[in-house]
Amino acid sequence: MPDVPLDSLAPGQTAHVVALDPAHPLRRRLMELGFVRGAPVTVVRRAPLGDPVELRIGATLLALRADDLRLIRVRA
Amino acid sequence: MTAPAVTRPPTLIPDEAACADTLARLKAAREPRVVVVGNPNVGKTTLINALAGTNLKVGNWSGVTVEKREAHLNHAGRRVHLLDLPGAYSLSPHTPEELITRTALLDEAPDAVLNVLDAGNLERNLYLTLQLMDYRLPVAVALNLVDEAREKGVQVDSRALSRLLGVPVVETVASRARGTDTVLDSALGHATLGIGVRYPEAIERAVEALSTRMVGVDTLPPHAHRYLALTLLEGDPSVRGRLNATGHAALVQAANAQLLELDTQGLDPLIEIAEARYALAGDIARAAAPQAQARRTVTERLDALALHPWLGIPLFLALVLLVFRLTFTVAAPFVDLIGGPLQDTLTGWASAALSWFPLARDLVTGAIIPGVGTVLSFLPTLLVLYLAMSFLEDSGYMARAAFLMDRAMRSVGLDGRAFIPLILGFGCNVPAVYATRTLERRSDRLLVSMILPFMSCSARLPVYVVFAAALFPRQASLLVWAMYTLGMLVALAFAFVLRRTSYPAEGSGVLLELPPYRFPTAQVLWKHAWRRTASFARRARTTVLATVAGVWLLLAIPAVSGASFATVAPQDSLFGRVSQAMSPIFAPLGFGTWQATGALVPGFIAKEVVVGTLGQIYLGEQAARPAALGLVDGVVQAGRATWDAVVASVSAIPTILALPSLNADATGDLNTPLATALARAFTPASGLSYLVFVLLYTPCIATVGALAQEHGRRFAWTTVAYQLATAWVAAFLVYLIARAVL
Ligand SMILES: Nc1nc2c(ncn2[C@@H]2O[C@H](COP(=O)(O)OP(=O)(O)OP(=O)(O)O)[C@@H](O)[C@H]2O)c(=O)[nH]1
Ligand SMILES: [Mg+2]
Repeated sequence: MPDVPLDSLAPGQTAHVVALDPAHPLRRRLMELGFVRGAPVTVVRRAPLGDPVELRIGATLLALRADDLRLIRVRA
Repeated sequence: MTAPAVTRPPTLIPDEAACADTLARLKAAREPRVVVVGNPNVGKTTLINALAGTNLKVGNWSGVTVEKREAHLNHAGRRVHLLDLPGAYSLSPHTPEELITRTALLDEAPDAVLNVLDAGNLERNLYLTLQLMDYRLPVAVALNLVDEAREKGVQVDSRALSRLLGVPVVETVASRARGTDTVLDSALGHATLGIGVRYPEAIERAVEALSTRMVGVDTLPPHAHRYLALTLLEGDPSVRGRLNATGHAALVQAANAQLLELDTQGLDPLIEIAEARYALAGDIARAAAPQAQARRTVTERLDALALHPWLGIPLFLALVLLVFRLTFTVAAPFVDLIGGPLQDTLTGWASAALSWFPLARDLVTGAIIPGVGTVLSFLPTLLVLYLAMSFLEDSGYMARAAFLMDRAMRSVGLDGRAFIPLILGFGCNVPAVYATRTLERRSDRLLVSMILPFMSCSARLPVYVVFAAALFPRQASLLVWAMYTLGMLVALAFAFVLRRTSYPAEGSGVLLELPPYRFPTAQVLWKHAWRRTASFARRARTTVLATVAGVWLLLAIPAVSGASFATVAPQDSLFGRVSQAMSPIFAPLGFGTWQATGALVPGFIAKEVVVGTLGQIYLGEQAARPAALGLVDGVVQAGRATWDAVVASVSAIPTILALPSLNADATGDLNTPLATALARAFTPASGLSYLVFVLLYTPCIATVGALAQEHGRRFAWTTVAYQLATAWVAAFLVYLIARAVL
């Protein structure tokens, strides 16, 4: 299975984190919140206006904008 | 899955013996200092309030505690200092609040760390715990929110957790003060260093090399060595800056060398360290809380509705509308009470008591009581508004509002969280300015504060209403809505421009946290709302008092010969003459008379006095002095009026759900003498231009005070100046267009 950017997942889908792009503006913070290699991340829903996107990582709910999702690579 | 116990052995720290000193210190300390550390929103402040009986502010969103706060209590014969710190996800600060937490750990010489955990989110919380344990201070854990975790189907075995971490663990429900009595025993009597993470070999070697360089350096105590070494390897800029500034540049250089070395091996320490911590945190979490099957939580069910693709936004708008209707319907009788009967009674007494000192009597009954009274009459409105807002905040809904509105706010360069202070601005700009504190970036705080005063606060409404009645009786409610919308559009337009000129976005990346819904306790709501209301009342005592007295003085000083102090006609007073001199500025806007100009000046103090001043000037109205009532009569009358207000307020609650209609307010005033006078003095075009000017011209003095307190005087006066300019230009344009069209 190839890596895909996280923004390509549809709501309800879960995948595993492969890597955060070194250029990701929230890289350090996201790692601290659990975006480490192998961690399962679920796309919960998109906001009504299309952006941002709600995610679940572990027991944490948070939202990121699509631009910032693109820089997170995941594998199904 | 039955997870095995921890698979990694605890790390052996080279200077473990030296760290043992910290344990001895905790035992010996006569006034032990305990820092309370944990992720945001896990109940740290609630726990401290329960322990120490203090009254620190709590709330259900991250970042409620934004500065360090100290509570004191006596425990087992010792005086304990409990330090409440802002929540942090890690000790590598990302926000100013997290920096406060990290700095306190390094500088406050704590004797022990009380680490508060969310039992329902163990893995993420343990990441911080493990990082804390690299800082070799005695640690005790309070496993909080066990009630909420149980509801989610998560049962944590606190004994197992204690065994795995090597530190004492106490289960608590801080909001109901359950389990809290043993927390201090645990933190002061049993806190220990616990386990440590073993990082990959290459990292451990680099840590050891750096730690060796710190041995014997006075300013770098042994318990900090491992933490500092790891943080340097993680590339945390703030710790580098700190070490460079305190004469440890060589250490930073050494860390750079180690980083280069690791890089040639293809290792990124940031990733290696985070992964090692999460691996161990995950192992411990799974061993201590064998996951029951995930249950659909209350939060998920509520979010399915609150964040629904079609219903989410309409629901949000309906909720905002409901809050404002609640505010005005329930509080209106009290506003009338304070502004009417109570004030009349007071005025009566004051004029009787001061009848021998006419000047003092005029000052008190003609300026201070009505001026301060007008401002205080807004207290009930604010209290209700704050109660409603606190409910939305503490329940966790405000974070959802930020999520819903983020896309819309992005088009002007802001993010969803900025929406909250703007909404609050419709009620009153002052608390809205303070609400900007929840924004993470300084440039966002400044930008939002600067556009906030364009949001039409409730004090401007009476001006629209009376002008609408005078000049546009048929389109009154349309006009009022147009004013609110115009204010909002101007605010957003300025956000757009200022973002591109003065306040460029700092960094990028927006992360919104969505905390679980919690039902706020009545006690917390009340404390929360009362604190905010009280700070508003304090301002009425100081700023407003001083300014109304000032205006009275200016109106009393004659500017022509022959007239005497306090009996001079308004237009011959200093106030009248100054207004006259200023009025040409407003001639291009269509209202260059001294009367119209004069009413704008006190509006700077409080927008609600514009209407009152217009009345005084246009009608030459000498406020009829209410008859002086006897003490008993006065109390009886005030009591009766208060009761009427309570009844009216309660009976108004059912009407909140009726369709909103701003017309209701407007029709009552249709044929007042003031409306008639205004209809003569203004044309539709100049009236419209006047309203636009009033909407935009300057924040009131209380808002200026709040701006100065938050961002400095210069910022506050800059805001005043640019808003005046904006108001002038906008009113000028409206006048030109309206004159052509109407
Ligand atoms: N159900 C439940 N709610 C709790 C418990 N402890 C705290 N709360 C609630 O959780 C929310 C957050 O509490 P705070 O004390 O403000 O949390 P904090 O950790 O100080 O938050 P920050 O200062 O933002 O880091 C409040 O609404 C509390 O009433 C608990 O044990 N159970
Ligand atoms: Mg707190």
